[in-house]
Amino acid sequence: MSLPKRILKETERLLADSPPGITAAPKDDNLRHFDVTVAGPDSSPYQGGVFKLELFLPEEYPMNPPKVRFLTKVYHPNIDKLGRICLDILKDKWSPALQIRTVLLSIQALLGAPNPDDPLANDVAQHWKDDEKDAIAEAKRWTQQYAQ
Amino acid sequence: MDLNHPLLASAVDLLPPFPSSHPQIQRLDRSLYCQICKELFSGPVSIPCGHSFCSRCIRGSLEVMKKCPSCNEPASEGSIRRNRALEEIVDSWEEARPIIHGLTSNNSRKRSIMNTGPKNAFAAESTKRPRKESTSRSVSPVKQSSDKKEEIDGDADDMIALDPYTNMAESSEDVKASCPLCDITMPIRDISRHIDLGCQPIKPRPKSQGRENLKADWKKVFSGAGLVKGKDVELKKITKPNYSLATPAELRSVLQSYNLSTFGDKPALAHRVQEWILLYNSNLDTSHPKSLGALRAKLNEAEASRRRDKEKGREEMASELKTSDGLARYAQDTKGEFERLRREIMERDKKRVGSGAEAPIEIE
Repeated sequence: MSLPKRILKETERLLADSPPGITAAPKDDNLRHFDVTVAGPDSSPYQGGVFKLELFLPEEYPMNPPKVRFLTKVYHPNIDKLGRICLDILKDKWSPALQIRTVLLSIQALLGAPNPDDPLANDVAQHWKDDEKDAIAEAKRWTQQYAQ
Repeated sequence: MDLNHPLLASAVDLLPPFPSSHPQIQRLDRSLYCQICKELFSGPVSIPCGHSFCSRCIRGSLEVMKKCPSCNEPASEGSIRRNRALEEIVDSWEEARPIIHGLTSNNSRKRSIMNTGPKNAFAAESTKRPRKESTSRSVSPVKQSSDKKEEIDGDADDMIALDPYTNMAESSEDVKASCPLCDITMPIRDISRHIDLGCQPIKPRPKSQGRENLKADWKKVFSGAGLVKGKDVELKKITKPNYSLATPAELRSVLQSYNLSTFGDKPALAHRVQEWILLYNSNLDTSHPKSLGALRAKLNEAEASRRRDKEKGREEMASELKTSDGLARYAQDTKGEFERLRREIMERDKKRVGSGAEAPIEIE
């Protein structure tokens, strides 16, 4: 398998010393495919939840961004029901100076700071705008139900 | 998946990190790594915003997006400039790194050497490294200007001389060994250069023998004898073709002129040309350029490994579908997709025929 040295180095560091609340390990059969868990940030509706994600490094990585998707259901205006994430650095703001670690930290930060003005899940975003309290309560319910 | 995975084992860092007890050295070390490949700079270049990267890395990045990977400021390939000072720093850091690493990880030894005193600092300085004239000269003014500095420098030189790594390197000046690739015997110190050049015979480097030779060398420089004529023509950067307009024949002729394979359809040819130009042009931004043969080998190796990956994926898929278990799994995985297609077709047909029609597709 052709695996750039950079990917091996990043993997090694992720395994040896992962950021708090985040784990990432490549699958045995494909070192470009990672199983990720992210803990919901404190004082957010996702607190206490552990969210599973999958991360894939395309062949052009690091020139192109990794592909990341939530596997756990999340009630969040920037994450749709297929788990796709609306995050600038995963699209046009990607830079090869970023890495897996920074991407996962950004995703954790996104959980702590939902942005209903740039929605991916329109109904959730509308809910958030109409009645933020109720939306947050719903997000907490989802966290309890799916992310334990 | 753990750290003992065979593929990870092969990646064990050749450059050990510095201990956290020396944050200053950690910072110095970090600042010499390229933000893109996370390795020590190789052929470093700068772009207008002032950030530096390996030539190869930033050229590859600018093909995808025309901005700086660090600060997002617009940048283009034409604005790339060699950063010779940074290259010299990285080169000397690469040489010094193992020594300094040894010192940081072995504090007690360091102290004992400090106590033996910097008496013979100048002697060590003048006898060491006759070839690296420029570096020792650039250090000396600092030494004379401040006594304190001199002491520190002296210590460093002392320790360098005592280090087993350098001792070995200096005593091995005349030890011979055979190249692991082509089995030709040569002095050990020439082997890595020999391999870098694609196993070409290495001419023994002329040893500078005092003033006489120096004078002769300078004479050569002034008379222009040191210049290799015709080199300028060969060392021009390749201009990129317009990949969407270029015909396969044109791409092939580019590849042919560099003795590369002209096999494949247009996308494959364009990809090969693109990668070759990347390798070739970035090779011109370093003081340690590789031979065209080595570049060609690198290109072929990358292409072959990509092809292997692709074939492997296809084989796995095919072998999985051969077993009934795998087939069941495949059906399970793609069930949703089939369901969706079926529903879509049924709805479409319903619309066309009208509400009275029965669903024409029945799937068990």
